[in-house]
Amino acid sequence: MSTNKPLPMPTGISAPFWNGLKEGRVTIPQCKSCGHWVFFPRRHCDKCWSQDLEWKEVKGTGTLYTYTLTRVPTMPDFADEMPQKMAVVELDEGVRINTTLIGLDEAEIAVGMRLKPVIDTVATDGTALLRFTAADKDIPARIDSTPAALAAAAEKAAETAAAAPRRQVRFDDEAAMKALVSEDYSPWSSQVVVDQALIDEFARLSGDDYWIHTDPERARRQSPFGGTIAHGALVQVLQSRLTIPLDYEVVGFNNMVNYGSDRLRFPAPVPAGSRIHARSRVKAVEKLPKGMQMTLEIVTHVVGSERPSVINDLVILYM
Amino acid sequence: MGLKGNAAIVGAAQYKPEKYATAPRMFHLEQVADLAGRALADAGLKASDIDGLVVHGPQFHEAQVFVPAMAAEYLGLSLNFAEVVDLGGCSSVAAVWRAAAAIELGLCQAVLCVIPSRMAPFGPDEDPAWMARAMRFGGHSTAFGAPEAEFDLPYGHMGQNTGYAMIAQRYAAKYGYDPVAMAKIAVDQRTNALANPDASFFGKPLTIDDVLASKMVAEPLRVLEIVMPVAGGAAVIVASKEVAARARNRGACITGFGEHLSFKSPTYAAEMTDTPIGPAAEHAFAMAGIGRSDIHAAQIYDCYTITVLLTLEDAGFAPKGEGMRWVREHDLTYRGDFPMNTHGGQLSFGQSGTAGGMSQVIEAFHQIAGRAGERQLRRCDTVFVSGTGGVMSEQGALILQGA
Repeated sequence: MSTNKPLPMPTGISAPFWNGLKEGRVTIPQCKSCGHWVFFPRRHCDKCWSQDLEWKEVKGTGTLYTYTLTRVPTMPDFADEMPQKMAVVELDEGVRINTTLIGLDEAEIAVGMRLKPVIDTVATDGTALLRFTAADKDIPARIDSTPAALAAAAEKAAETAAAAPRRQVRFDDEAAMKALVSEDYSPWSSQVVVDQALIDEFARLSGDDYWIHTDPERARRQSPFGGTIAHGALVQVLQSRLTIPLDYEVVGFNNMVNYGSDRLRFPAPVPAGSRIHARSRVKAVEKLPKGMQMTLEIVTHVVGSERPSVINDLVILYM
Repeated sequence: MGLKGNAAIVGAAQYKPEKYATAPRMFHLEQVADLAGRALADAGLKASDIDGLVVHGPQFHEAQVFVPAMAAEYLGLSLNFAEVVDLGGCSSVAAVWRAAAAIELGLCQAVLCVIPSRMAPFGPDEDPAWMARAMRFGGHSTAFGAPEAEFDLPYGHMGQNTGYAMIAQRYAAKYGYDPVAMAKIAVDQRTNALANPDASFFGKPLTIDDVLASKMVAEPLRVLEIVMPVAGGAAVIVASKEVAARARNRGACITGFGEHLSFKSPTYAAEMTDTPIGPAAEHAFAMAGIGRSDIHAAQIYDCYTITVLLTLEDAGFAPKGEGMRWVREHDLTYRGDFPMNTHGGQLSFGQSGTAGGMSQVIEAFHQIAGRAGERQLRRCDTVFVSGTGGVMSEQGALILQGA
């Protein structure tokens, strides 16, 4: 699994902190000479300059020192967290930590509120980040935010939505079909993780193995996106793997033909490791001698991103 | 202790702010030479007068190291003093006091302080995407072992907006917050820019409602409270009393300065709403031997409206925690009772990278020299200038006084 969100690179000095989180513990160095708690971890005590430090497990509880809610992501890769609830937390030991808040509505957040830690696994190698939520929130102390886990949760939600009863519309009922035309989009679909393995597979099938898609090392150094991105065509065809919860179902036809696309655009990249989802709306319905033609606009976005990655005006002929 | 006021800014040059996409591409050495020539002509001095150099070191296109030697060689100068500054938006203020200190120490007689900020032409092997990549993390170091790479970036903490927003949010919790007063800072400065044909937003009036209706970027900061990055570049010449006597402008003597820093991320400040400009300004005023009420104009570094507010308070112009009321009660335009950022500030002039802070230094010089055009203050002998780098990380203050 790859993701373009930056991950911590533990050093010889900081590794105990990150290893502690992997094991579900919050640990902070304390100065053995003066008792000062040190964060971020470093070579010495930043108060008395002693180099005699000791890692200690702490509860991880603290107060909200300050925060902001972002309305523009600090980096496109964080679009799935919008609004980002960026925070500075002061632990009860007195040290401050840059972090994010989770499980809170915007209105619940206030400077000075009591907080408790939530250890959030973000990569399949177990790398975990230290986030925080309100002390009185009923949230597990450890959660899993790997893209696969988040996509699985979205899949479940989409399945539930898809199981809801849908009104049936006969394909040859012109008035009813035309009534489906709408400016509003459907709810979001299930999600798919577009990881490097999937991109590599598509590169092999299609023959498009340009480095911007397939060489993570070079892309990290040279691509403006800071990593590999999926082929637009791959994201387009992945629409078939997404379940869009629709409140209608076209029935009564003998055959349904995919007639192609009136408009196909790839306005925004999909970085490797992103989760995508889609939604749709009926853009036009036209009665033709051969049958009923529906233009379905399907837009696929990286989860949280305002700009679509694929806009596809799919033309379907019901006969 | 400190300066006697024997060194003065006697000449200045700055590129009119332009969009990066359409601004001329020039090598940084070429910009240094071009800006130096213009500043020298403005001062009415000869190239042979210059024997000192302070240049902004980071992101210098043609060299990562040995920048002053390369620049001296390119310019054809013999230097007795060479210095690189690396203090972000505080670099302009920092360059000027370093030049003045070197002159008063007797090291040199005239110092070129220069910050190129236009993009350089790309070589055949250079990757045009480098800028996009460099900006991806908004000035945060991504180097292995950099604390911010390890403890900020994974959470999305990067760039400047959220850092300043979090300072503003804590201020709001401690002292209260008035978005109208914050908008007024941007609006008063825009009024000043309407009298400055070089400003990016010249001819574009702004109302408080415009600011309040602009897009929220990071609570509580709106887009019109945040500077617009532009291409540019600036230089000033600081000269000894003897050399200044031959210059054609009234000099702006550096009579006081201060500098303070102790963190990169304000998260680690003792109290993030008490900013480093406090001790820096205290030092500057004490050195100059003057008080806040002796100031005729303040040119305050304004990457964000909150930067201005906290500088007004911590530099001692407004009572702590009452800055918003103070802003409502004062007219900050060039016609007002507290002329501030009379060129429009960077919010309305444009922020030409690290050279942006030089716009404040140059405006102070122009006001003192009586060359500020339509926005010229009737009396302007003493000006306070501030510089701010990072996220209120490093701050500096200058007191400039007419010769």
